[in-house]
Amino acid sequence: MPAVSICTEPFVPAAQAMARVYGFPAYEFATMPHPLASLDQAQIQARARDLMPAVLRILGAGS
Amino acid sequence: MAGPLPPSPPLADAAGIRAAMEYYARQEWTDGLPVVPVTESYLAEFLARTSLPPDEVVLAMPHLNRECTVRLAAINAAMAGCLPDYFPVVLAAWEALAGDGYPVRGIWQSTTGTAPLLIVNGPVRTRIGLNCAGNVFGSGFRANATIGRAIRLTAINVFGLHPHLLDQATQGTPAKYTACIAENEEQSPWPPLHVEHGFDPADSAVTAIVIRSCVHIEARHTQVPEQLALDIAGTIRRTGALVHETISALVVLGPEHARLFAGAGWGKDNVRQFIYDHAANTRADLAAVGKDAVSRHTHWRLAADHPDAMPDRASGGDNPDLVPALISPAAVQLMVAGADNAGVSAVIETFGPRGGPPSIARVGDIDG
Repeated sequence: MPAVSICTEPFVPAAQAMARVYGFPAYEFATMPHPLASLDQAQIQARARDLMPAVLRILGAGS
Repeated sequence: MAGPLPPSPPLADAAGIRAAMEYYARQEWTDGLPVVPVTESYLAEFLARTSLPPDEVVLAMPHLNRECTVRLAAINAAMAGCLPDYFPVVLAAWEALAGDGYPVRGIWQSTTGTAPLLIVNGPVRTRIGLNCAGNVFGSGFRANATIGRAIRLTAINVFGLHPHLLDQATQGTPAKYTACIAENEEQSPWPPLHVEHGFDPADSAVTAIVIRSCVHIEARHTQVPEQLALDIAGTIRRTGALVHETISALVVLGPEHARLFAGAGWGKDNVRQFIYDHAANTRADLAAVGKDAVSRHTHWRLAADHPDAMPDRASGGDNPDLVPALISPAAVQLMVAGADNAGVSAVIETFGPRGGPPSIARVGDIDG
């Protein structure tokens, strides 16, 4: 199943390190600003909307 | 330096030693402090202290596709400054860490910033000079300092858990450099930790517990066991420590405090039960910090009006306005360490065990 990994910006170095561990150094992540855990529902929904273009692009939509 | 230099200090080319140490530093095979260069002949002295084959795996992290073998554990123990005689304790530590479960699942990479605490019991303490008395959490003792460091160096060098990369700790803890203590069995009124969990007093054993903070209890003023136990319970239950629905703690009693309890007729189970009964927050106190419910997905504490919130266990109990911080008395481990010189103890905030026994492994092959 196609999937997109999403991480907040502070975790990009860790995510890239994990990608290297698994032999996919160019693996692409959709990223968003920190923080996430403390957001309310409206803020979470706004984050999801903001992320959609990156998610669709990484999935290859429109290509 | 205490005392005069020995009459015949060893002669060596300091520039060569320094070049080797700097090479290790450039490779980032370090926790930041200098490490001891290791040769095959020195490594052989460590491997001679165990009957385990060098390629035997002592701990694997499947999510990283990485595993630590006896040989890799020995290299890092030597780099950490261990003497070969310490290696059986290091191997027992790895066995206990593997049995604990949290490290295998990646807790050392977590933002929570935990560290492994090693507790050593039994005759090996005196054999290799492990400190269990004054300054037990402090510096000054090679065995304590280097056995704990051996684990951390392995985490960095074998599992690749470099800070800012695979180690994502938000702040971490000073215990990440090293955390290895011994129990002061000689000044404890109770059976030592490993005997409490089924080992023979003549066994040497290592207990591994995932820890974060170490909070000291000042209680020099009292001879009343309830007062002391309330001080401890009040420290354990602090709302800032509440990540999950309930928490766990290791209480490291100084000899004076342990004797105070024992003198009043309290055994370890009495202390545990009292702490469990009193380590509780009011619903209002939890609501004030937004921790009066739990996430239905993670069971981490959050506010009752959060979309993911569900009631905690206490909500359905007899007294919903008083919320225990512990799930059972067994979530409190007890041991004795420190000097018998003041009414000081410590609460170590742990990541389990929250009910079952801690992970303990026997030290083998001491005479190699």
